[in-house]
Amino acid sequence: MSVRTLFSRQQDGLRNRLGDISEASLAFWLLLPATLLLGLIVVYPVAKVIHDSLYSISLFSESGPVFIGLANYADALRDPDVWRAVRFTLALCIVTVPGALLVGLVLALLANREWKWRWPVRLALLLPWALPLAFSGMIFAWFFNTEYGVVNDLLRRAGFAPISFLLIPQWGFLAICIATIWKTSSFVALILLAGLQTIPRSLYEAAELEGASRWQIFRHVTLPLLVPALMVALIFRTISALQSFDIPYAMTQGGPARYTETLSILINTTAIEYMDVGYGSALAVLLFVLSMAASSLYLRKLYKGTL
Amino acid sequence: MLKLPLRWIAAAVLLINGFFPALWILLTSFKSDIELAQTPITWLPQNPGLGNYIHAFSDQPLLLFLGNSFAVALLSTLLTLFAATGAAYALTRLHLRHRGLILTLLVAVAMFPPATLLVPLFEIMRGLGLINTYGALILPYAVQSLPVCTLVLASFFQQVPKDIENAAMLDGCTRLQALYRIVLPLSAPGVFTAGILAFVNAWDEFLLALALNAAPGSRTLPVGILLYQGEFTFPWPVISAALVVAIVPLAILIIVFQERVISGLTTGGIKG
Repeated sequence: MSVRTLFSRQQDGLRNRLGDISEASLAFWLLLPATLLLGLIVVYPVAKVIHDSLYSISLFSESGPVFIGLANYADALRDPDVWRAVRFTLALCIVTVPGALLVGLVLALLANREWKWRWPVRLALLLPWALPLAFSGMIFAWFFNTEYGVVNDLLRRAGFAPISFLLIPQWGFLAICIATIWKTSSFVALILLAGLQTIPRSLYEAAELEGASRWQIFRHVTLPLLVPALMVALIFRTISALQSFDIPYAMTQGGPARYTETLSILINTTAIEYMDVGYGSALAVLLFVLSMAASSLYLRKLYKGTL
Repeated sequence: MLKLPLRWIAAAVLLINGFFPALWILLTSFKSDIELAQTPITWLPQNPGLGNYIHAFSDQPLLLFLGNSFAVALLSTLLTLFAATGAAYALTRLHLRHRGLILTLLVAVAMFPPATLLVPLFEIMRGLGLINTYGALILPYAVQSLPVCTLVLASFFQQVPKDIENAAMLDGCTRLQALYRIVLPLSAPGVFTAGILAFVNAWDEFLLALALNAAPGSRTLPVGILLYQGEFTFPWPVISAALVVAIVPLAILIIVFQERVISGLTTGGIKG
């Protein structure tokens, strides 16, 4: 090693060390806004929600908070409203997550053809994605309207009797599932479309040369290479399905008879409308535990750098 | 290659799925109350008129809702871009220990379900006197978009050659000046992409807007339009007109910035 490189290395080391000192403080200042925001909007509220869940706090009562330990949680486990909301939320996940993945996959495969005009195809996927969930809920509530809805118009034309979709629990569940799948499949399709476009054309050509059928190509080339994108879509969809609020609220407001109430709707009703902060906080912690199970999968992938 | 008929079916499926709901609302918005109450229903408006649009603006302060949505979305986007720029630069360009851990924490913390934070946020905002003000929504929306924006910006910052930055610093720029004068302008497409995603997120949010800003004067569009319903009726033609008014700005945004939105979604998509 020549003296010259040694010298420059030393100099580098020196500069690096000096640089590190200023870099450390610069990093502190650069990360400060994000840290403050997260501290105020997430970390402190989470601490508060856990703390409040151990108290009986009602904004309607005159007396202050009373420490009651785990009584709110014990109440929640005995509360039929909570179990119904949990069951409904999980049912919504079980139907809409695979549903959105399947519809999204079909849309992505269709959109991945070579189109002469690409922008209408793209826009057809982007518009449902950008549409607010609450608007989608309102639009589908209108679709499923008993007298004037387009769905019942089609049913009538096909010779069936109209159905009061949003007034009958099971049909309400179906309507909410369809609205949710429609709204969320476009996001899945956009993610999968990006995944499809990274698959090298040469792989398809090679498979065709080998005489593989269309289905075989899909099954043995496309699908395996799409697994990472499918995983991302699956995790995101699961997390947001567990938090479903906008679409059911806009379509049925949790009715009829609270049958279509999700956990998020129940929390909003308990804590904001009835001002039962302690109990609402316990329910919020419950929802947090549920959704953390799904997000930890994503976070582990992110941490390991496999995304 | 697909044969023609199959190709047409594929196009029809995509276009009907993508546009039919919006198209149906557009058609409804041109129908009169009388026409709407007919069964069997009409598909195309018989006497298209703009009456519902006039009602949409006069029955409720739709212009105010539009302004509220716009202000909240724009301000929260600027705030989140400011915070995300710093975080993304620190994560990509500085010697940080525990880089992966910081990034993971950042994303983890912002992935908390809004319904979980609803209760304490309500109390915090009440304590700060921010209920029914823009501030009550700007702060949480900025946090919700922080991970996406940080991931998108970080991926763009990584592509700026370090040499350009070093040259600027040799010329007497400080690191911070290099960030704002060199790296950020060169990453302008990334800033746009992140900004659009943050804007759409804020424009769409409903739960917090409903719980924290329910007063008529401070409603954003989704809350305002959902609460159009009268005591007993749901005036669909007027609501359809209001929905069209609310969707148009969004549609323009995504038509103009299609490519940006798609690239942003695939870099750090956190929205379903």
